[in-house]
Amino acid sequence: MKQKSWHLDRREFLRGTGMALALPFLEGMMGSAKAADAGKALPKRMMISYFAYGAYMPDTLEGIPIAGKPHHEWNWFPCMDPGPLTFNKSSAPFAPLKEYVSYLRGLDHVGGYGMGGHSSGDVFGTGALMASTEQTNNISIDQFAAKISGSKTRFPSLVLGTEGGTGSYGNAKTLSHYGPGRPIPAMQKPQEIFNRMFQPYAGSSPEQVRTRLKRDASVLDVMLDNSKSLNNRLGKADQQKMTEYLDTVRALEQRVERSSQWTHEPLPNVDTKGLNLEVAYTEAQEYTRCLYDLIYLAFLTDSTRFATLMLESESSNSHPTMQYPTYVLPGCKASSHDFSHGRAPENGPWDKWRAEQHAYFLQRLRDTKEGDGNMLDRTVVLWGSAHSHAGHGTKNYPIHLAGGNALGFKHGNLHAFEGAKKKPLANLFVSMLNAVDAPTSKFADSTGEMTELRI
Amino acid sequence: MKARITVFAAGCLLFSGLQYSALAAPVDATTVPSIIGKVFEANCVSCHGPKKSKGKITLHDLDGGLAVGRDLVRWEKILKELRSGEMPPEDEEQPDDADRKAVIAWIETGIRQFASSPDLEAAVPTARRLTNFEYENTMRDLLGFDWKLSGGLPVDPEKSYRFNNTAEFMLIGPEQMDRYLECAQRAMTSAIVDPGKPEIHRSEAKWITKVPSAAGKNADEIGVYRGAGRNAASEGLNLKSWPKTGEFRIRFKASAILPPGVDSVPLQMVMGYPPGFQALFLLEPVGNLRLTNTTDNPQMFEMRGRIENFPVRPPISLKGGMSPPALCVKPVNLWDNGHLNDYNDNGGGWDVSGPRVSVESIEFEAPIADVWPPDHHTRIMFASPLRETNKPAYVREVISRFMTRAFRRPVLPEEVDRFVTVYNILEGDSPTLEDAIRETLALVLTAPQFLYHTVAENGVTTRQYELASKLSYFLWGSMPDDTLLALAAQGKLDDPATIETQVRRLLADKRSGDFIKNFTLQWLSISKAKTRNINLQLFPRFLFAAGGEAKGREVPNRPTIRDYMESETVAFIAELIGKNASITNLVDSNFAVLNQPLAGHYGVDGVQGNELRAVPIKPEHRLGGLLTQGSVLVAKSTGSAPHPIYRAVWLREAILGEDVKPPPAEVPALADTVGAAAEKAVTIKDMLRQHRKEETCNVCHASLDPWGIPFEKYNAIGKYQPMVPKAGVNVRGFIEKIDKDLAGYEAYLKTVNTVEIHADARVPRGPTIDGMEPLKAFLLAERKDDIAENVIRRFLSYSLGRSLTYKDFLLVEQIGSQTEKNDYRFQDIIIAICQSDTFRGKP
Repeated sequence: MKQKSWHLDRREFLRGTGMALALPFLEGMMGSAKAADAGKALPKRMMISYFAYGAYMPDTLEGIPIAGKPHHEWNWFPCMDPGPLTFNKSSAPFAPLKEYVSYLRGLDHVGGYGMGGHSSGDVFGTGALMASTEQTNNISIDQFAAKISGSKTRFPSLVLGTEGGTGSYGNAKTLSHYGPGRPIPAMQKPQEIFNRMFQPYAGSSPEQVRTRLKRDASVLDVMLDNSKSLNNRLGKADQQKMTEYLDTVRALEQRVERSSQWTHEPLPNVDTKGLNLEVAYTEAQEYTRCLYDLIYLAFLTDSTRFATLMLESESSNSHPTMQYPTYVLPGCKASSHDFSHGRAPENGPWDKWRAEQHAYFLQRLRDTKEGDGNMLDRTVVLWGSAHSHAGHGTKNYPIHLAGGNALGFKHGNLHAFEGAKKKPLANLFVSMLNAVDAPTSKFADSTGEMTELRI
Repeated sequence: MKARITVFAAGCLLFSGLQYSALAAPVDATTVPSIIGKVFEANCVSCHGPKKSKGKITLHDLDGGLAVGRDLVRWEKILKELRSGEMPPEDEEQPDDADRKAVIAWIETGIRQFASSPDLEAAVPTARRLTNFEYENTMRDLLGFDWKLSGGLPVDPEKSYRFNNTAEFMLIGPEQMDRYLECAQRAMTSAIVDPGKPEIHRSEAKWITKVPSAAGKNADEIGVYRGAGRNAASEGLNLKSWPKTGEFRIRFKASAILPPGVDSVPLQMVMGYPPGFQALFLLEPVGNLRLTNTTDNPQMFEMRGRIENFPVRPPISLKGGMSPPALCVKPVNLWDNGHLNDYNDNGGGWDVSGPRVSVESIEFEAPIADVWPPDHHTRIMFASPLRETNKPAYVREVISRFMTRAFRRPVLPEEVDRFVTVYNILEGDSPTLEDAIRETLALVLTAPQFLYHTVAENGVTTRQYELASKLSYFLWGSMPDDTLLALAAQGKLDDPATIETQVRRLLADKRSGDFIKNFTLQWLSISKAKTRNINLQLFPRFLFAAGGEAKGREVPNRPTIRDYMESETVAFIAELIGKNASITNLVDSNFAVLNQPLAGHYGVDGVQGNELRAVPIKPEHRLGGLLTQGSVLVAKSTGSAPHPIYRAVWLREAILGEDVKPPPAEVPALADTVGAAAEKAVTIKDMLRQHRKEETCNVCHASLDPWGIPFEKYNAIGKYQPMVPKAGVNVRGFIEKIDKDLAGYEAYLKTVNTVEIHADARVPRGPTIDGMEPLKAFLLAERKDDIAENVIRRFLSYSLGRSLTYKDFLLVEQIGSQTEKNDYRFQDIIIAICQSDTFRGKP
C-alpha cells in the first residue's frame, strides 16, 4: 500500500479530456536533499497560522502584566520577563523547540482597533486599515511574498482554513488576500487539497497536459473576448463590478502559461502514510493535524513556499471548530468563543491543546533534514491571534514566531513591546518578508524592521 | 423646501461659546433651524459635544445640510435613536414630546428631500454573481433534473441578519472560477449521455413476511430503531453495481404494522454507505412517504432520484486496506411521537409498542432507459437530420439554443460565434461530438452572462429580460421559466397588473419554497440552533437517540427535533406568505406549524405524522408567532440556559429591524457561569443587574436586556419552564442509574427548581413587561409599524440584491402606507415591491 491508496472516482470521471484550468501547479518533488544535490538554492519559506478569540492572558484585559503580580501558570505567554524563555503549562509543548521559538508581547495592527471584538482577525495577515481609510481588506503578507517569489514553485501559495471560502467583511474565513477586496478562498477538505496539489494531471502525461494547456489558452482568449464585449454594453457601476470577472480570466491565462512551464518538471511523489484524507471536521486533532501535514508536504516537495492556515474563523456560525474545546477537553461545555470571556482553569488547557497542534507541525519541520540543517531553519512560521485576553480586546496580540534560524532569525526569548517600546506588528512582517526573498522596506503601517529578532 | 429651514446662528450648531467652530465640517451651507438646534443644545451636546464624546459620537458639529446629502450617516443614526427612544438615556433630562417629534419630523423631511432629488444616482452595481443557492437551482431548471452542488463550490459568505445576495458579498476570483468549471463539467457529463443504449444496472432483495408478533420482529419488519438483525429488511439492499450518472428507480413492496391509535408510519428511503466502515455515515434521503396500508394489503411504491446526487463511494481504508461497502438502499422507520428519547430503549420499548414497517422487497434499477436518450439529453442534443447532413450548422444550433436558455435572454450572433470558435478548438481532442459539446457548454456555463444576474445591456437586452430574471431570482431563487421569458419577449412584463399576476403565480409554484427557506434562514439568523451545543446533562433526552444504530448521537439521515424546529420556522413563514397573512403573525398567531415530533416537544395533542401543517393552538400551549419557536429559542440560548442578550439582539435585529451595536472590543467579561449549568445555578437576571452597574456596560445593556428578559421562562431547548433552582444550588445532571428515564430526572428537577423566574423588565421609555404574553401584546400595540417597516426593508433588500440606501427611504415609506390599510399582508408587500420603479429598474 505504498501509493495510490485512494480512489479518484469523481475527479477522474470528471476530467476526461476536458479543460482543466484548475490544474494545480506544483513543482516536482525535489525533496530538499535532491535540490541541494542539483546545486539549487535552498528554499526560503513562510507560514502564517491563526487561532480565533485570543488566548488566556489574565494579567489585564489587554494582556499586559502588572508589576508584582506573579505570572500565571496558564498564561499563554510562557513567562513574564523579557529575555530567555522559561515555559509554563500553556506553552510547555514548545519547550523542546526552545531555540526555534520567540514570543512577542505588545504587538498588534492599528487597523484592527476599530474592527470590533469578532472581526479583527480579518486583518491579521494584512494589517489593512479596514475600519478607517481602507474600504476593504488589502494584500496579505503571504501574497506579497508570492507575488515576488511565488514563481519559483508550482504553486505561488497555499491557502487553507477550517471553514473554507472567503467569508465576508468582518467575518473572514481566509488569511490571504490578493489585494483590495480580493480574498482568496481557503481550502478546507483534505482530500481535495491533496488532489489539487499532488494529483493534478489525473493520469495524463506532461506532454498531454501541455497540449491541453495550449488549447486552454486559446479558449481563454475567446472567453476574455466574450466578457470584454459584454462589459462594453454595461453601465458604469456594473462595469466596475465586472472588472473582477475580467481580472479573473486574465489571472487564469497567466496561470495556464505558468503551469505549462511547470509541466517540464516532474510531479512530486508523495508518501501518504498516516494521512487520513477523509477525516471528519469533528475529529479535532486528526483534522487539524491533517491540514498541518498537508502544508508540511507542500513544503517538503517544494510545491509552494508560502502558506496560510486559518485554524478557526471568528463569528463562525455553524462550524465544528468552534466546539473543539468540548471535544478535546474532558467535561468542557464551552465553545472556543465562550473561552474568550476568560476562564482561567479551562482556557489554559485549551490554549495548550492548540499549542500542541502547532508544536507538532514545527517538530515535523525540525525533524526533516534540509541542507546542513532542517526544514524549520528555512521556514519562518507566525502563529497568533488578533485578540488578546478576555472580552475580545483588539490590542496586544498573542504572537509566536518560530523557525527561520537559517534565514536570519534568532530565537529563544520573550520580547516585550508595550508602552514606550510599542511597535507595529507590521514591522515583524517587514522582517519576515525580507527573510524570504521578498524584499521590502514597508508593509501596511510598518515603521521599520523588527531588529530585535534578526541576527 | 429649503426655505422651510431657517438659518441657525453661525453656520453650525453653535453652543455656549466653545471653541470648536473650526472643527466643524463644511461650515458654509450648514443650516439647522433654531428650534431644532435648541433641542440638541439642551439634551445632547453635554454628552456628545466638544467636551465629552460618549460612544465617540459628537453632535455639536453636525452639518444641517442633510437635505443635500450632508452628514446623512449621523443624522440617520440620530433619527434611529430618537425613534426607538434610546437617546437621551432615561436617567437624563428629556426633551418634551413635541420637541422630540419636531426633530424626528425635521430629519425625516430632510432625508426625504435628499432621497427625492433627481440627480441622485444610485451608484450601487446590480451586476453580481449568482449565489451558490441560485446557481444550484438554476442548474436544476436549466438541465431539467434535480442537480445538487455537493459542496463543489466554496461556501458563500454569511453574516447574521444580512442577506448574502449582494454585489459586495458575491465576489469572484480564479479559484472560484476553477470550481465553476468543474461543476459545469460534472453537470454536462450528466446532462448529455453517450450514444447507444446504456448498460442497465439492476439489484433486488426479498424478505419473507410472517404474522407480526409482540415477541420480536420478523426479517421484514423495521421498528422505530432497528430491524430484526443481520440480513433483515432494515439492513436494506446492497447494490451489485450502479452507474455513475443517470436517473435511478427504487421500487419496494411495503405495508404498516400499526398499534391502536396510530394511523400511519412514516417511511424514509435512504441511500449511501451505512456506518461500519471507517465510521463513515454517508446516507442521503431518497424520499419519504407515509404508510397507511396494513400487512393484509401490501403495496408497491416507487421513488426516483439522480445517482450523482448521492455520496461517492469512499476510498479504500488506509488503515488495513479494507474495501468500502457497496452502495446501499435502506428503509428507515421515522416514526417519532416526540417522546422517543424519554427512556432508555434497551428492552424493546418503542420497537415493540410503536408502529413497524414491513418491507417485502426492494428493487433498484439505473439508469432508467424507458425513453432513451432521456429528455434532458434531447433538450440539448435535439434530434435533427442536420446532425448528419450539416454538422457545423447542427453544432451552431445546439450551442445557440443552449446559450439562449443559459443566458436567460436572446443571444447575439457574435456571442454564438465565440462559442462555436471554442467548440472548434476543442473538437480535435474530443473523441465524440457529445464530448466536444459537453466541454463547450460547460464553458458557456462559466461565461459572465450565465454566472451573473441578467442586467440590461446597452443596445442588446431590454429591461424586460432583466425584469423576468429579477422576479424569478427573487421568488424562486432560480432562472425565469418559459412563461416569464415569453412575456419579456412580447414586451408585456413591465406592467403592474401583469407583475401582480406573475408574482402570485410564482409564489404559488413549489419553487417559491426555495426562496422562502433561503430568505427566512438568512433574515432570522437561526442556523445556530442546529449546532448549539446542548447540555445533555441537563437535557438528557433532547437529542439522544436512545437505542439502535444511532445510539447517543445525532445521525445525518434521521431528522432530530432541531431539524424539525428549523423546518417549522421556514414552514411558518411559508404559511404566512401563502395565505397572504398579516405581518402581525410574526409576533403572535392563532396557529403553529407542527408535526408529531414538534407537537410532542411543545405539548400539543392530536398531531400525527412527520409532515408540517398549520395546527390551531390554545393559550396554554404558549405558542404562536416566531418568538416562542424552538429554532429561535435554541439558537439564542447558551445550550444550558436561556440567553437574554442573544434573544434581545435577535428581537431587535430580526423583528424590530434595529441595528444593535456589536459588543465593543474591550468589554469586560460577563461572568460565564451562565454557560455551565448543571453546576452552580445563577440567575442571569441577577448577573445582568451586576453587569449594568458598570457604567460602560450600562450604556448598551440598559436598552438591550429588557428585550431579552421576558423570554426567560422559555428554556434552552425551547420549552416553557417557569421554575429554576435557587441561586447557588448545585444542580446535578442526568444519571441513568438513579433517574432511569426522563420522567425520573424531571421529578428530581422539580425538587430543585423551587424559584419562579422573574421575567419582568421595563423596556426603554415603555412599561414593565412581565413575560412573553405581555411582550407580544406590547409589540403589537406599540411597534407594529416598526415591524412592518423592517419586513418591507428585508424583502426589498433581498429582492434588489443590495443594501438599501437613502434613495430607498421613500419607497419603504410608500409601501408602508400602501399596505397598512390591510394590516400589512405578506403578498401585498411583495407585490408592491415588485411593482415599484426601483425593483423594475425604471430609469
